[in-house]
Amino acid sequence: MKNIEIVQDTNFIETLEEKLDLDGPFSSWELFKMAYEAELTTITSEFHGLRALEFLPHMNFLPHQIETAKQAIEEMNGRAILADEVGLGKTIEAGLILKEYMIRGLVKKILILVPASLVNQWVKELNEKFYIPAATFRKNYPWDSYDIIVTSIDTAKRSPHREAILDLHYDLILIDEAHKIKNHKTKNFEFVRALKKKYCLLLTATPVQNQLIEIFNLVSILKPGHLGNYESFLEKYGKDRKKINQDAFLKQLVQKVMVRNTRKDTSLDNSKRHIETVWVDFSPEEYKVYKELDKTFQPFSTFSKITFLRELCSSREACFLSLQKFVNDENNHGREVLQPIIDQIGQLPHHAKAQKVVELLKNIGDEKVIIFTEYRASQLYLQWYLQQHGITSVPFRGGFKRGKKDWMKQLFKDKAQVLIATEAGGEGINLQFCNYMINYDLPWNPMRLEQRIGRIHRYGQENDVHIYNFAIRNTLEEHIMSLLYEKIALFEKVIGHLDDILAELNIKSFEGEVKAIMNESSSTGELKIKLDNLASIIQSTQNSWQEESQYGN
Amino acid sequence: MAINLHSFLENYFEAHHCDILSNQNGVLKVQLNEKMDRALMNRPFYWHYIKKMGRDGDPMQLTLISNQDSLEERGERIHFGSPRLQQILNHLKENERFTRLFQVIQANQNTALQPWLVVNIKISYIGKHKKDEVFSIGLNLINGIMKTEMMESLSDKEFGMKISDFCYTITPIIKPISGYKRILSVLDQYIQDLDHEWAKESLQELENEMNLLKHFYEGAYDEELEQMEKELRDLKERYQPKIQIKVVNGGIFYIRGN
Repeated sequence: MKNIEIVQDTNFIETLEEKLDLDGPFSSWELFKMAYEAELTTITSEFHGLRALEFLPHMNFLPHQIETAKQAIEEMNGRAILADEVGLGKTIEAGLILKEYMIRGLVKKILILVPASLVNQWVKELNEKFYIPAATFRKNYPWDSYDIIVTSIDTAKRSPHREAILDLHYDLILIDEAHKIKNHKTKNFEFVRALKKKYCLLLTATPVQNQLIEIFNLVSILKPGHLGNYESFLEKYGKDRKKINQDAFLKQLVQKVMVRNTRKDTSLDNSKRHIETVWVDFSPEEYKVYKELDKTFQPFSTFSKITFLRELCSSREACFLSLQKFVNDENNHGREVLQPIIDQIGQLPHHAKAQKVVELLKNIGDEKVIIFTEYRASQLYLQWYLQQHGITSVPFRGGFKRGKKDWMKQLFKDKAQVLIATEAGGEGINLQFCNYMINYDLPWNPMRLEQRIGRIHRYGQENDVHIYNFAIRNTLEEHIMSLLYEKIALFEKVIGHLDDILAELNIKSFEGEVKAIMNESSSTGELKIKLDNLASIIQSTQNSWQEESQYGN
Repeated sequence: MAINLHSFLENYFEAHHCDILSNQNGVLKVQLNEKMDRALMNRPFYWHYIKKMGRDGDPMQLTLISNQDSLEERGERIHFGSPRLQQILNHLKENERFTRLFQVIQANQNTALQPWLVVNIKISYIGKHKKDEVFSIGLNLINGIMKTEMMESLSDKEFGMKISDFCYTITPIIKPISGYKRILSVLDQYIQDLDHEWAKESLQELENEMNLLKHFYEGAYDEELEQMEKELRDLKERYQPKIQIKVVNGGIFYIRGN
């Protein structure tokens, strides 16, 4: 008891007496009572548990996310490494922890350091999902004027920001992609260590990439001395990266400051994914137009040609509209070459894929099906075409307002058989009641495909999910299909470590890489070889990853 | 949540003299007045310029949907944790801290009202973790009798800002400040008597981590020592147990004694 500091409220009674002297102003009985009720609803009457869950009824947290947040707060006392595998929701866990601390009044000033490219996304997610009023740093506003700020470490460590930030006292520091500060000789590391902080969260999918000393450095930010001091650690574990598995003691220590969930041990694996590739052949007329477009390269860059070809693989409408737009733009040349192609597209019969969709839907029977396409024009066309065959459908777009999204979801659930979506829309639509999905055309970014599947294959899905991936033979879709989704076997292994593998290979954007290959290849043969090469590099990195990344579990 | 959200909102806007335009199926449409527009709508520039031009201004309307199953599209969805509700709760907590109220009585003969000091107090226990406890305490300023759960026992009574006809107040014998001190000393005794396991755990953790830290910096000098001092301060801030006593709201209540 003598060690407990007691802070009294000194100003209440003085203010009350002043008001009595001045005869007011006073609160009415109604409002006075309500203020008391307001306090009662917002207090936290237990040391343990997550109050934040009550505050966020619109969020569907996965069990491992809730468990992780609890562990980080209750057992690790707010200093933790969150090291889930990619795709299991580290951001969600971090948001939940932040929210809990804010509700309990333990945290007010927060500094969030993330890679520059993720700053806006963090701000958006914290605001929309967690109602945490985070802001980005803007010039002319001093650092101490923000309560919750998201910025990049590169900005923060630069003078004069550095000095201003180091002067402040933060209640919580969060660092995303924390493996970037694992080297204790860098400016980043030194900067982070110098921050005044109460709580601290480090997010990384790869706490150890090369050497065990990396985990030592990360832990030293959170809990210096937890793994001994630098010299003794180096002496004992050297620069090996595998010893962590052999040393039960070290593993145990690390688990006291780090939570790592893997796909294998989350309940996501309860329902299975059945993935089937559906090959479609163009009709002879369609092939003719496709080849003609493929041969035409003069008027536009290869880049836009790829786009047109992809569109043609999706629907006549999608390609028609953008070609039309292209020739109507006076800055572009090539109307003479393109107009005949546009005319031919106008003459084409119904798209081979659309016909296949109807056939497949009839086979599936009465089940609910969600169809994803990349293009608005294809979405409209499909809706019309399905209606011609007596199949009811509703559209869905990321751009819909919240209310409209809910409404469409409800219509799909109660009335329509099919939902045709152009974009996963990120959040707000969970369709666990549906377990069939048709990927009418495939995104070139595997993350986006994973997001699509995540709409139905998520916590709460009780049935196996069936996913059909459409691709047209002898077109660029065939290359994409065989590279992304067969060679790399992305579906079976889920996306897992792709992020890290790409980082290791110094590939910034997978989609960009594929486009570049398409761009630079002068023949289909060359294209195929290059894509094959890319696939095998990724594959071999992936294999070595899987052997080595089983630390800390 | 301890309150019924929908009626809570209705009462809130009525108590602030806003017109309820419609109210059905958990969808509440309110015409704000200037005071509430300023408090909730966050548009100080609008009010600044409109006043500068010498005009009255048009307070906005607000539609709040508290029924989560409602398919109504126009309006703000409001639920526990939503920013709007937090704003309203904070608005209440900040502005409704002091009062002086008289019990409303239909009297036809002279009736005495006794003064009570009513204080609602939040105690927060802050260590590794944190919890809060709220007490509502009333102290009769004539005879010094003290009651707990005061708000609950007053909840079915009616109070007004002005004294009712035929009623008169008795002048306090105990000054509010002395009454307040008595309440605090009772709370202090209560706190002394508690088992503070939470604080012990927190101090234990503090000691553990301080030892680790010192081990980590063994043989360190200069800059490194400075870094260690910083980290020691961070640790104390995180683990040093604290009890915070804060008045939620309070005031003088004139109540008929019986």
